[in-house]
Amino acid sequence: MVATFDVKERLRQRFAADVLHADRAGGMESITVKKDRIVEILGFLRSEPDLAFDFLSDLGGADGMRLDWPQWRDRFQVVYHLRSMKHGRRLRIKASVPESDCRMPSVTGLWKSANWMEREVFDLFGVHFDGHPNLKRILCHHKFVGHALRKDYDIHQGQWLDETESMMDEIGEYGENPDDGGFSELVPVNIGPAHPATHGTLRLFAKLDGETVVRVSPEIGYLHRGFEKHSESGSWTMVIPYTDRLNYCSAMLNNVAWCHGVEKMLGIEVPERTQYIRVIVSELSRIIDHAVCVAAMLVDLGALTNFWYLFNLRERIYSILEELCGARLTSTYVRIGGLAYDLNEGFIDQVRAILRDIPKNVGDVIALIKKNRIFLDRTVGVGAVSKELALSYSWTGPCLRASGVAFDLRKSDPYLGYENFDFEIPTYEDGDVYSRAMIRFDEIVQSMRIIEQALDRLPSGPIFSEDKRVHLPDKDKVYGSIEGLMNHFVLVYDGIKVPKGEGYHPIEAANGELGFYTISDGSGRPYRVRCRPPCFTIYSGYSEIAAGSMIADAVPILSSFNIIAGELDR
Amino acid sequence: MTYTIVNHVLDYFELEQGGLWSLIGAIAVWAAPITGFVAIVGLVSIWLERKISAHIQCRLGPMEVGPHGLLQTLADGIKLLGKEDLVPKNADRALFALAPMMVFAATFVSFACIPFSEKAIIADLDIGIFFIAAVGSLEAIGVVMAGWSSNNKWSLFGAVRAATQVVSYEIPLSLALLAGVLCAGSMSLVDISQAQGGWIWSWFIFRNPFMWIMFLIYFIASLAECQRAPFDLPEAESELVSGFHTEYSGMRFAIFFLAEYGKMYVVSAVGVVLFFGGWLSGIPAIDGIGGITGNLIGAGVMITKSFLLVCVQMWIRWTLPRIRLDQVMDLCLKYLLPISLVCLMLIAVWQGLMPTFDEFGIAMIAAMALGFMQMRRIYRKAIEASKTRLSLPTMKV
Amino acid sequence: MNWEAVVFWAMATLVLVPAFAIVFSRNIVHMAFWLLGTLMGVSGLYLLLGADFLGMTQIFVYIGGINVLLLFGIMLTRSEPVYVRRLAKRPKLAPGLIIGAFTAFTLVSALLGAGWRNVPGEPTETAGILGAFLLSEYILPFEIISVLLLVVLIGAAYIARRGSREGAE
Repeated sequence: MVATFDVKERLRQRFAADVLHADRAGGMESITVKKDRIVEILGFLRSEPDLAFDFLSDLGGADGMRLDWPQWRDRFQVVYHLRSMKHGRRLRIKASVPESDCRMPSVTGLWKSANWMEREVFDLFGVHFDGHPNLKRILCHHKFVGHALRKDYDIHQGQWLDETESMMDEIGEYGENPDDGGFSELVPVNIGPAHPATHGTLRLFAKLDGETVVRVSPEIGYLHRGFEKHSESGSWTMVIPYTDRLNYCSAMLNNVAWCHGVEKMLGIEVPERTQYIRVIVSELSRIIDHAVCVAAMLVDLGALTNFWYLFNLRERIYSILEELCGARLTSTYVRIGGLAYDLNEGFIDQVRAILRDIPKNVGDVIALIKKNRIFLDRTVGVGAVSKELALSYSWTGPCLRASGVAFDLRKSDPYLGYENFDFEIPTYEDGDVYSRAMIRFDEIVQSMRIIEQALDRLPSGPIFSEDKRVHLPDKDKVYGSIEGLMNHFVLVYDGIKVPKGEGYHPIEAANGELGFYTISDGSGRPYRVRCRPPCFTIYSGYSEIAAGSMIADAVPILSSFNIIAGELDR
Repeated sequence: MTYTIVNHVLDYFELEQGGLWSLIGAIAVWAAPITGFVAIVGLVSIWLERKISAHIQCRLGPMEVGPHGLLQTLADGIKLLGKEDLVPKNADRALFALAPMMVFAATFVSFACIPFSEKAIIADLDIGIFFIAAVGSLEAIGVVMAGWSSNNKWSLFGAVRAATQVVSYEIPLSLALLAGVLCAGSMSLVDISQAQGGWIWSWFIFRNPFMWIMFLIYFIASLAECQRAPFDLPEAESELVSGFHTEYSGMRFAIFFLAEYGKMYVVSAVGVVLFFGGWLSGIPAIDGIGGITGNLIGAGVMITKSFLLVCVQMWIRWTLPRIRLDQVMDLCLKYLLPISLVCLMLIAVWQGLMPTFDEFGIAMIAAMALGFMQMRRIYRKAIEASKTRLSLPTMKV
Repeated sequence: MNWEAVVFWAMATLVLVPAFAIVFSRNIVHMAFWLLGTLMGVSGLYLLLGADFLGMTQIFVYIGGINVLLLFGIMLTRSEPVYVRRLAKRPKLAPGLIIGAFTAFTLVSALLGAGWRNVPGEPTETAGILGAFLLSEYILPFEIISVLLLVVLIGAAYIARRGSREGAE
């Protein structure tokens, strides 16, 4: 890879004094820089045509307090994952932030999505971003004391917090003193956290002029349960059940994402059969997720019947998954290095049967809405998002593709053998609610194609990697040989020992790019787990997109984003 | 025979001038059967709504209480009766309590003028249809009252939406009512029904092509008047939580509910009288029976027809998404209003120039049946197309 | 006391009590709802006099239309309950008395000069007669009023549109 070599050299040429360290980890160039000129560095990487790292994939933080790596000079690092849409390359830039001077410039001027992600770093690590328009806590309560993801914050240290944030600082002043004699006095309203339109627990604070939403600001974190902190307290395997609760509409995909990332750090390949089964359950989950999203959106439009048609489908797929892994919602099916169980008897027939029935269920819904004048009036052109805006907000997944960017990790960075499947990436041009709804139907069709091919080609063989670091030995070996017994003992007591290093290996989840940025110190416990939830960046664009629409439009715009609170708030 | 409200009261109960107690008695005698009927209409409609929605949505609906859940609504009503009477803090208590009564009264009074058969009508007023339209508009006041007094912004939004919608749709609704009045030459619902005697093609809807359009306008406007989907904006649950009755619970909520279903029956019954021959079955032999038997058959026909229209309202509710407020206004002011004005004029011209003859009615029925079959064919095709688009070329569907 | 008298006094109370309440209430929304009572009472009086059509028109137009629009206007412009402020600390007695006396004089003289008479006979159908009159004898006033209303409608739409266009710029 000559190109990645170039990045390092180019940066050294231009910012010689600022580049501290460069290495490769997990197939990605990783460059540590000084914090003060981060805006210039990222701007340079973004604007140079041969680099063109124009997409801020993820922005997270890490606390190196208990890490004795030589390249980790200061306590904190702010980690930027960039992607070049043009060249399809990824790059990790890490800004080193000392504890004594815990502030750095904000990159909100380059990417709009940096707004929320920097707020999150500020909230959880206490790094101040100069020039940030609205630097305040985002996931934790506004009265929370301390920074939860710092390593010196004890996981058991609870705080009693019960005061609702007024949100007046974000939109309070707006429209209070109009010049026209008070006739357009704006009405402040809370939409949520307990409102039928805010599936999960979202809170929107809006200022209305009649029926028009003049300004709206979301407050998130109602479902924040410290996924990352929890993950850092147990072994690598113990994270799997937590991932179920991220996007609870498609738990399988989260399992796959986590295990895939850890396997990449371990450098192991799972057997082919496992890959195929993972593909099948992933795509089934994707179908569920898309069905749920469109169903909820149609409910918000007042078309309740479609909800049932789509939920019938969902329930049937859940029944299949239940027979497979014992749980409907929280599957915990995938393991690092393999799967919990092989396919049950009859699984393939059940899946084939449901593939036959999907056209009936989904077709009814499409027939009800596709040429329905009311549906078209309510969705076409509503909440339109341009390609540029979507990319600036780091959108991924169906929402981005509805805006006309054919970006799908299954095609662009294939994993689990997706390159062997014949499928297309549907795109729409308008980026409105209609496109975001219809693209999900189209993706359901593509998922069906993938499942069908996977079923046809499903190989037989083992479902678990033979690698001793992850594979629990068979019982006869545990009882019959000392190596087996020791292997079992070490795996159970110490957990999987992931080699020192860091990795970010995203997959295409139902909502978009879902990746886990993990740092391992080699101890058998993840040192740092950062989840890049797709709907976090999508939701950060909501206030800009929904402002100026009517209440009746703001609600379907919200549901067309498919915001899942479990994933959003972690 | 002409009646006004005053001498109707006198005649009906053979009141003497000055009999105060007989007036009170008369009110009681009037009110009791209507109350009973409204309650039964409410119970049956709610059960129907649950069953229809359930079967449309591949569900069963209530099955536990009574055969096929028939008594479920009753059980729910008893539960609602037993609930605590909650009034939100800072609510306008008096108006909060008055609002459900206001809404219910508006529906309740309309029943006085609805004929069940030739004789089974409480008050056959000269201005029957105008009376129903007028008291129907009182409901808007009740809704506004509920929304305002709840001291809840969502309720207020619901109330404002309701006021906008009801006031606007009253115009096309009234024009559609006028079409029926124009054809019959009377505002009495009994006269209007009787003007449609004879075979089924003498019903007003088959009288001329514009009556059919007028019926569609009437039906759309009546959906809006009842605040039923797709015009359920005042209580749009995904936007306004549940609109003007967000803060209502217990029996007050039940009364709103009852009023909604009562109103659905009222608009359907008026629609039946205006366009579908009222209690007339469309077969002269049956309609000519007369006497108690004839009246009973008439009442059965009338109630069946009305409930059929109520079912169509429900069917539409569970099929269509909700319209946005500005689109509701567009539909009313840009489409329904001009179309209904033009139709009214054309109906007047037709009524003045064309003789009424049976063959035309038969032709209308045939044309409608053909049109319906054509629409059905197009719709089938659309469904098939959307299913083939979804299925895979390699798959054996 | 015969029942007509009972109904009359009931309706008269329904007209007068809300009327006073409107004057003395300070909450604009309450005023609008009190107005409902007055309009209902007037409608009841019309019905009592046998003027069915007029009574129903009263309900249809004044309650269903105008009163709703009144409330609508209040609620659209204000989200909080609105209270009327007293403009002056002490009510100005002399101008009030003069205006009151003038109004009273006008009303009383109109009442006395009306030439009340008892019309015997049954109340009859009124809608048809009214319609016939409106389209024959009184066609000119009827048309003039409708043209006037049209002008008002166009004017209101023009003012509203101009306002919104300026707001947009």
